[in-house]
Amino acid sequence: MKTIIFSTAIRLLTPVFLLFSVYILFRGHNHPGGGFIGGLICSIAFVFHVLAHGPGVTSRVFFSVVLYYYSRPKSHSYTRYALRVLRANFRNKRDTDEPHKWSFVFLRIRPLYLVATGLLLAASSGIVSLLGQKPFMTSYWLKFELPVIGSIGTPSLFDLGVYLLVLGVVLQFIFIMSKE
Amino acid sequence: MVYLLLTGFLVAFAAPLLHHWLGRRVFVPLTLLPLIFSAYFIWQVPGVLAGETVTQSISWVPSLGVQLQFRLDGLSLLFALLVSVFGVLIMLYSRGYMGETPLLGRFYMYLTLFMVAMLGIVISDNFFCLFLFWELTSITSYLLIGFHQHKSESRTAAWQALLVTGAGGLALFAGLLLLGQASGEITFSGMMQSGMDIRGSSLYLPAMVLVMLGCFTKSAQFPFHFWLPNAMAAPTPVSAYLHSATMVKAGIYLLARLSPVFNSAEIWQFTLPLVGGITAVMGAALALKHTDLKAVLAYTTISALGLLVMLLGIGTDEATKAALVFLVAHALYKGTLFMVAGTLDHCTGTRQLPLLKGLGRRLPWVGAAATLAAYSMAGVYPSLGFVGKELLYESALHNNGTLGLVLGVALLAGMVFVAIALVLSFRIFWRKSSHPIALQHAASPYLFLPPLLLGLASLAGVSATTPLLLQASLSIAPELHTSGKLVESQGFSLVVQLSALTTLLGLILYLFTPRLHLRPFTTQDFPFGPDSLYHLLFSNFLSGSKRFIHTLQDGYLRHYLVYLLLFFCGLSCYVLWRDALVLHLGDRFYMLQSLRLYEVVLFILVVSALLLLLNTRSRLTSIVVMGLVGYSAALFYILFGAPDVAATQLLIETLTVVIFVLLLHKLPAFSYLSHQVFKLWYVFVAVLFGSVMTYVLLLVQENAVSSDLKDFYGEASYLQAHGRNMVNVILVDFRGLDTLGEITVLAVAAVGVYALLRLKPQKGGKP
Repeated sequence: MKTIIFSTAIRLLTPVFLLFSVYILFRGHNHPGGGFIGGLICSIAFVFHVLAHGPGVTSRVFFSVVLYYYSRPKSHSYTRYALRVLRANFRNKRDTDEPHKWSFVFLRIRPLYLVATGLLLAASSGIVSLLGQKPFMTSYWLKFELPVIGSIGTPSLFDLGVYLLVLGVVLQFIFIMSKE
Repeated sequence: MVYLLLTGFLVAFAAPLLHHWLGRRVFVPLTLLPLIFSAYFIWQVPGVLAGETVTQSISWVPSLGVQLQFRLDGLSLLFALLVSVFGVLIMLYSRGYMGETPLLGRFYMYLTLFMVAMLGIVISDNFFCLFLFWELTSITSYLLIGFHQHKSESRTAAWQALLVTGAGGLALFAGLLLLGQASGEITFSGMMQSGMDIRGSSLYLPAMVLVMLGCFTKSAQFPFHFWLPNAMAAPTPVSAYLHSATMVKAGIYLLARLSPVFNSAEIWQFTLPLVGGITAVMGAALALKHTDLKAVLAYTTISALGLLVMLLGIGTDEATKAALVFLVAHALYKGTLFMVAGTLDHCTGTRQLPLLKGLGRRLPWVGAAATLAAYSMAGVYPSLGFVGKELLYESALHNNGTLGLVLGVALLAGMVFVAIALVLSFRIFWRKSSHPIALQHAASPYLFLPPLLLGLASLAGVSATTPLLLQASLSIAPELHTSGKLVESQGFSLVVQLSALTTLLGLILYLFTPRLHLRPFTTQDFPFGPDSLYHLLFSNFLSGSKRFIHTLQDGYLRHYLVYLLLFFCGLSCYVLWRDALVLHLGDRFYMLQSLRLYEVVLFILVVSALLLLLNTRSRLTSIVVMGLVGYSAALFYILFGAPDVAATQLLIETLTVVIFVLLLHKLPAFSYLSHQVFKLWYVFVAVLFGSVMTYVLLLVQENAVSSDLKDFYGEASYLQAHGRNMVNVILVDFRGLDTLGEITVLAVAAVGVYALLRLKPQKGGKP
């Protein structure tokens, strides 16, 4: 299914999908939506990306982090070193004429990590209330509202957990099935 | 007490780490632990002797009555002291016996865990608490028996012990629950005070039988005795500690603890002496025929346990006293003998009785320990064993109902004990031999000091333990009158004559033992014994379940579906038939008038799509049509005002179609392989399921339940949960725990899919 039109369209649409899914996630408390639907939309975005570009590209683009670093020479102060490393990682500017060599670590975010994180978030959102001597999963809400997102409380955290978990599960299926 | 147990668990789990840091010196902190335990319990002795009880309680799951309740009375203290003092010696001995093992830390961990669990059993007052520790001893026993995990016999024996004692544990749990239900009490102390009136209860008998089962399996009574000899595959310190002195006594402890509740029942008075008697005689007889030192000791242990059960079954004051004295005596001498056996094994490399000869000169201290223990085992005058035997005969003589049985069993078992005591001390160590066995190395102090100390205790323990024993028997039989002495000396009475007769008969039997050992036992000698029966059952169970799974789960998705649907239909039809639920459709035909146009259109769309689906041979078409049906369902949801459900349905439908498309080119070409009959069968199942579902749904609509639930959620979701979307609020807040469970299932499914699809089975290999 690697047609030019499809893959270009998907490239443009994926960010929109992702943004929309996050919107749906936070909208869920007052309007139709929520973690499950948001997670599904998000995963559908990635599913289409996989369809258009193949799982290798998807996981490289969205699910991997490359961290650059170098061993600090004596001449560099800590501040300078930190600034350089930050610049290399965030603005992707690396001075190549330096005497030191850049090395990097390649971190892959596997879908199962997402599943685990989601489960952890969802389960730990209920633990908050245990600290306040209340039964498990008693909800707490912040007194003020955040702009755009709205009110935030432990159920939002729970919803976020569901979102991540659903995303992880679908990605797990898709990556494995499309690889075979 | 709670802190003691907690410290124990912490130290136990730290043992591997300690071994890493300290190397072989790890035994120092781990010996200190039981030493502290012993000091604590000794410190409690004066109070308990004065009749006080120490109690402590921590609530755990108050809604179920599960509490960590501990109570220290005479009986508990006796056992606790036994466990902890014995623990000190065993820890020292393990250093000598297991010192070279690289897994010493792990061994100490298991052993300490067991010790703490055993202490937990004897001091817990709550049923649940007791059961918890009871099962923990079973598990640690499993781990310890299977400690030499590279040997298959160790593994089998460990399995066997776990299955037998674990099954017994379950029976015990059921029994305790029934007992709790019958009396309304879940503590032993509560039972003693108010639980006496449960005898009329209908649950009394099943509770008693179940408790007896639990105790019999734990204490290796006939016909569950077979795991104990096999458990001798464990390292010898374990055999000495778990399988002679403490764990197998847990059943005895519980029988003693509950005997005030049960001992007036006839079944109790009948079963216990009978089972105990059979066990005692059988254990004694088998002990004579074996030549492996540890097997001999194991069978005499079984025999002794049988005697104990018999005594508890008699249940008179003398019998109770006798049981406790004999229990302590047996723990002391049998522990000593086991340790001696281990030392011999370590020093000479064999445990075969005919080979072990003339060792007294070269292992004098070991010999001394064995002799001291043998005195007690044979029941010769100054030892604790003598007092035990004296009391045994006395209680037998004072009990008219079962006089013959008890006396006969006691005489037979005592005779064998004398003979075996002679074999273990005199023949191995002191008889002159022309072919003494060669020593591989001398015994280190760790190997001979603990048994020697224990042997001394079994000889000198009479005066030291008397008050405690009396106090312990008081906590079983509250109306017991004590005169501060265990035995009323009556001169050269019938009891003493019987005792002398036993010794004499034992001496004669000893002279015949070489002849008995000419052809030692093998497992083939008992093709229908409980052990063979167990193995037969075990292997048949395995192969049976394999066959069952192979027939039920043959790998065809359609078969699974058929099973599921048929089961569901059967269940629904049964309920419909049972409650005779009839549909009254006639009253509702008028509702068809209010049908809206787009509903009719959607309906026609779905039906025609389905008809198309049945006739197509192309996979792509069927996928698209299935998608169409799904989307129409989503439209229905929207029409009836459920946007959340509709959104989910839409998304899931999309995903399904996309995933199908992804996999489409990997599937083989479409072909009809099923026979026509099967096709009809599938059609039948589908139609059946569809019609049952329709019928049930119509019924549900007809008998719609009015509830306040909707109003409640409507109000509460905004006022209490700050959300206007009721569905979502229910999902993440009101029923958040359900959702948590569901997403956990989802996560597990993801891991399962990962495991299944990532394993790439070789062709023809195992998947």
